[in-house]
Amino acid sequence: MVLHELNQGLAAVADTARRSLVRVNSGRGPMRGNGSGTIWQADGLIVTNAHVVGRGALSVTLPDGRNLPARVLAADAVLDLAAVMVEASGLPTVTLGDSKRLQAGEIVFAMGYPYGVDGGSTGGVVIGTGADLPEMPINNREWIALSLHLRPGHSGGPLLDSAGRLVGINTMITGPNVGFAIPVHVVKRFLRAAIGAVEVPPNPNARAAIY
Amino acid sequence: MSDVLQSLSHELAALTEKAGASVVRVEGRRRLPATGVIYAPGIVVTANHVVERDEDLVVGLPDGKTVPATLAGRDPSTDLAVLRAETGNAPAATWVDPSELKVGHLVLALGRPAESIMATLGVISALEDGSKLPSEMQIDTWLQTDVVMYPGFSGGPLVGADGKLLGINSSALMRGISLAVPAPTIRRVADTLLQHGKMKRGFLGVGAQAAKLPRALAERLGQEMGLIVMTVEPGSPADQGGLYMGDTLVALDGHPLREPEALIRALTGDMIGKKVVLKVVRSGELREIAVTIGERK
Repeated sequence: MVLHELNQGLAAVADTARRSLVRVNSGRGPMRGNGSGTIWQADGLIVTNAHVVGRGALSVTLPDGRNLPARVLAADAVLDLAAVMVEASGLPTVTLGDSKRLQAGEIVFAMGYPYGVDGGSTGGVVIGTGADLPEMPINNREWIALSLHLRPGHSGGPLLDSAGRLVGINTMITGPNVGFAIPVHVVKRFLRAAIGAVEVPPNPNARAAIY
Repeated sequence: MSDVLQSLSHELAALTEKAGASVVRVEGRRRLPATGVIYAPGIVVTANHVVERDEDLVVGLPDGKTVPATLAGRDPSTDLAVLRAETGNAPAATWVDPSELKVGHLVLALGRPAESIMATLGVISALEDGSKLPSEMQIDTWLQTDVVMYPGFSGGPLVGADGKLLGINSSALMRGISLAVPAPTIRRVADTLLQHGKMKRGFLGVGAQAAKLPRALAERLGQEMGLIVMTVEPGSPADQGGLYMGDTLVALDGHPLREPEALIRALTGDMIGKKVVLKVVRSGELREIAVTIGERK
């Protein structure tokens, strides 16, 4: 019974994550690459990693299948964050979580386009958070260390907590079983500084808007 | 959103925090610090391989304080080391025996290589007696999990769903596999190290290698192989007991001896001073020889 409910819960979180997941396509021809992005605002603001948008011509594939040209509003190679804009409105967004309150052992769920696979998901737990994690250089950058299986293409995609709230942006791995995400509070700071974006209240009709 | 998923998540985080109250940082090597567990007030158990030096050891407590630590003893055969440090009000861990565990049970691996507690989640993958381990490892149970051993997690605890500790994780016991030293082994080793500063090992004083037994004997004993004695150290327990080169050992104190590792395993510290029966084949005849096990120096 518990396992059954657990499965349903995981599927619900995956559904929520999918709502804010986009595919980011960059470059052309043999240099074409792809990563993931997270819808931040209904008006077309998308957050992803700077290393995902670095390859020239950019387009974004929305959850509803539309492929739209995108432009980079701001990118910070040090933070590895980028704000990308597409011409759209009423995009589904997810509730932002409080990444400062993430605890070790907490269940999290990541989604993206690993090796290009549509909506590839991986679940696990938070190993730890902060700026003093083993394996990471001490340079004041905050991370969420994750015990799950991020792969190339997960970059820029959403990391959600067990309540389906966005707590991070999947960014890198240090091995097959350990991934790192940028906490949502760092993303907020980046957006405020880079484009003056303010946090938008969660869209209560988000589910209805997409399905 | 699912209540069960959120409850599970909250419980895992709460379990991490609660059990983490007995988990400390151990600074005893040049690179990354590792983890240890408060075994009793003032006593920390950790992995031997993370305590590279004998002095200048530091323990980082859950409340953020750091205190100096001294080495009480180390045991490479179980990859355990015991430290003494002022652990203050931090609670000692409570342990659970492998008999209460099942393959498939959820487990957390905890670590404190930095300031805060860290965790990975997994299940018990295999649970068997320790005879699968190399003979030089005196570990009672093969306790294998699929937890990710994040850097610095060695010496940290494996925690069950009830918050009790199953063992101490070490990434050095077997390459590529997450094995934990089970609670009974920790108790045995920690208590011996605290009392004597080192592990005692039994000593017989023979050099031996595996040899096939004659068929009739093999059938009678239900054992195909024995250990043929190649050398007997003068003055050793084997010598004093009257053992000769060419004798074939088949059992020590009831433990069948099919390979040299079995003899190493049988010569535990608690055998020292004990008079035990060695079953020996000499000139085709099975006989029993009494020997008093000595202590390996």
